[in-house]
Amino acid sequence: MKLTRREFSAGLAAGLAAPALLRSAHAQGATIKIGMCAPVTGPAAESGGYAIKGAKLALEAVNKAGGILGKQGELIVEDDQTTNPGIVLAFSKLASQSDIVGFLGSIRSTQVHAMAPDVLKLGKPVMIGGTDPNLTHMGNKWLFRFRPNDSYSGRVIAEYGVSTLGKKKWAVLHSTDAFGTAGGKALTEALQKLGAPPVLDQGYANQSQDFTPVVLAIKQSGADILGSYFTFENDLGIFARQLRQLGVNIPWVGSPSIVNITALKLAGPALYNTYGVADYAEDSSDASKAFGKIYRDATKVAPDNQSAWTYDAVTVLAAAINKAGSTEPEKIRDAILAIKKFPGAEGEYNFDQNGDGLHGYNIVKNDKGKIVFDKHIESND
Amino acid sequence: MDLVLQLLFTGIGIGAVYALVALGFVLIFRATNVVNFAQGEFSMVAAYLMVVFSVDLGWPYWLSFLIALAGMALLGVIFNLGVYYPLRHRTYLPVIIATIGASILLSNSVLAIYGPQPQVLQGWFDTPGIQLGPVYLDSQYLLIIAVTILLVLFNFWFFEKTLLGKKLQATSQDKEMASLLGISVSTMIMITFIYSAVLGGLAGILVAPVLFVSIQMGSTIALKAFAATIIGGFGDVTGAIIGGLALGVIETFGAAYISVPYKDGFAFLVLIAFLIFRPQGIFGERVAEKA
Repeated sequence: MKLTRREFSAGLAAGLAAPALLRSAHAQGATIKIGMCAPVTGPAAESGGYAIKGAKLALEAVNKAGGILGKQGELIVEDDQTTNPGIVLAFSKLASQSDIVGFLGSIRSTQVHAMAPDVLKLGKPVMIGGTDPNLTHMGNKWLFRFRPNDSYSGRVIAEYGVSTLGKKKWAVLHSTDAFGTAGGKALTEALQKLGAPPVLDQGYANQSQDFTPVVLAIKQSGADILGSYFTFENDLGIFARQLRQLGVNIPWVGSPSIVNITALKLAGPALYNTYGVADYAEDSSDASKAFGKIYRDATKVAPDNQSAWTYDAVTVLAAAINKAGSTEPEKIRDAILAIKKFPGAEGEYNFDQNGDGLHGYNIVKNDKGKIVFDKHIESND
Repeated sequence: MDLVLQLLFTGIGIGAVYALVALGFVLIFRATNVVNFAQGEFSMVAAYLMVVFSVDLGWPYWLSFLIALAGMALLGVIFNLGVYYPLRHRTYLPVIIATIGASILLSNSVLAIYGPQPQVLQGWFDTPGIQLGPVYLDSQYLLIIAVTILLVLFNFWFFEKTLLGKKLQATSQDKEMASLLGISVSTMIMITFIYSAVLGGLAGILVAPVLFVSIQMGSTIALKAFAATIIGGFGDVTGAIIGGLALGVIETFGAAYISVPYKDGFAFLVLIAFLIFRPQGIFGERVAEKA
């Protein structure tokens, strides 16, 4: 038999490529891959580390319990740089890997908005922690939320301040990004429904170096209570210190960032006696306590929502794939939406048809730096 | 009136920080004709050095401060030898690009060594501030303003009254002529880099207790300081100080009386106005092209 040059070249190419192709085929089948966009660098890099840890701990537990469809789960992390272009790039890198069956997006609404068109185009389930209510109400059926949205946090902050603390003259302070704007709007609407429209509605730009004008505006408004939606802990820390220095000591009920670890470290005593709505409160349920123990044992750091939502997202995604018995996106989606009364670290998951898993918030108090669970307020819609 | 006084104090305080960093921009620009885009990172590195010495190692604050500044002087030497010196005979563009590269290298090196967690650095004083009538004076801002005033006086004395200062001025005005007069130009540029790194470091250490210590702290301040430098007149020491203070006051009052979310916008609006109507800045001289 005589080989032509073309046959020889084709044979050589096939021979060289075969081991790599076999390895790739083997690798594709060996694990079930979950992609995760997380801030490894940028202003949210610290909380990004907590998020990755939460996801890894969940996957370890899933793998110990038999894995996903009988295979080991594998987490592929891409750095979103805490920016919108960063998360779009990170997601496109992950999306190009066809063997990734589901994804974890961001806790930041503005980033989820940025990646949402690509999510819709890809058509695979993406777990998110962003709390802008619009995210699950804009016709993108592939987004599934693992934290209560801001329509709930706004209602709970308003309800607690008006009914429990008995305050009616509100100053509402919020970041002007997607998260802060949506949160501020939700709080203002909830206050109006309770007959206590805010006396001050104040936005601020992220990464501000000085909040003196804001504090003075609060002082001048005559408000007797403050409700806040801060995106970055640095901003919260600077504001909290200046608020106290300039003598404003009114009660303060904040969005979840007010009780996260970084904020507590930076602001210190300036946040004592403040209240926060917390999707994660260690003492709120047995599942929350169990997660708290696992997380503390592994990291020696107190758990917070940054790690709890990713822990739940991986746990629920794995459970949904197992229940669906398939990695087909539509089947996973149906399985997630069918999840009811699922005990998670963040609370009990009852997915609605919009993709929202949680429908209530915990109220916690900063008692000299220690976060103490007060009560859980659940909404019926 | 109380409100105005409080805003004025804060505006001057934050403006003084911009002024300190702007001073570093100006000194290097005068000596080398290039903008050092790593000036903000000098502030960040110094703040982290303070955290290492004062918080992690528990050394006395004053000792940590001196060692951190010495570390900055060393960084100035390394920066000059590693970034400027090899490119000194090239046009300004490669040098500017090299300073941007150095800025990325510095911030990512700190990120790799120290991690992304923002850190808390205590201020120089135990008392956070004093209430003077209706105005609260933050002790750290008071210190920043005092240091800025001292530095203005020091710079005047140093550049106008000392031989070394005059040599530095001569070098910045005409390197060839200075060289012909027996001044070692490379030594003068080395001293300028050391002084600028120390100034940037000083700003970082002073502002760290107010803004916390983070990887981004330098770039945030440097952007405003750069605007302050242009407003004051690029290359003018007094202009940098006045530009920095003006920027701090304008953005604080703009935020209080017009819009908080657009606070940064006011600073850059002023910058754009200067670039259109007075590109040489407040104290800069018009550069006319000869026929």
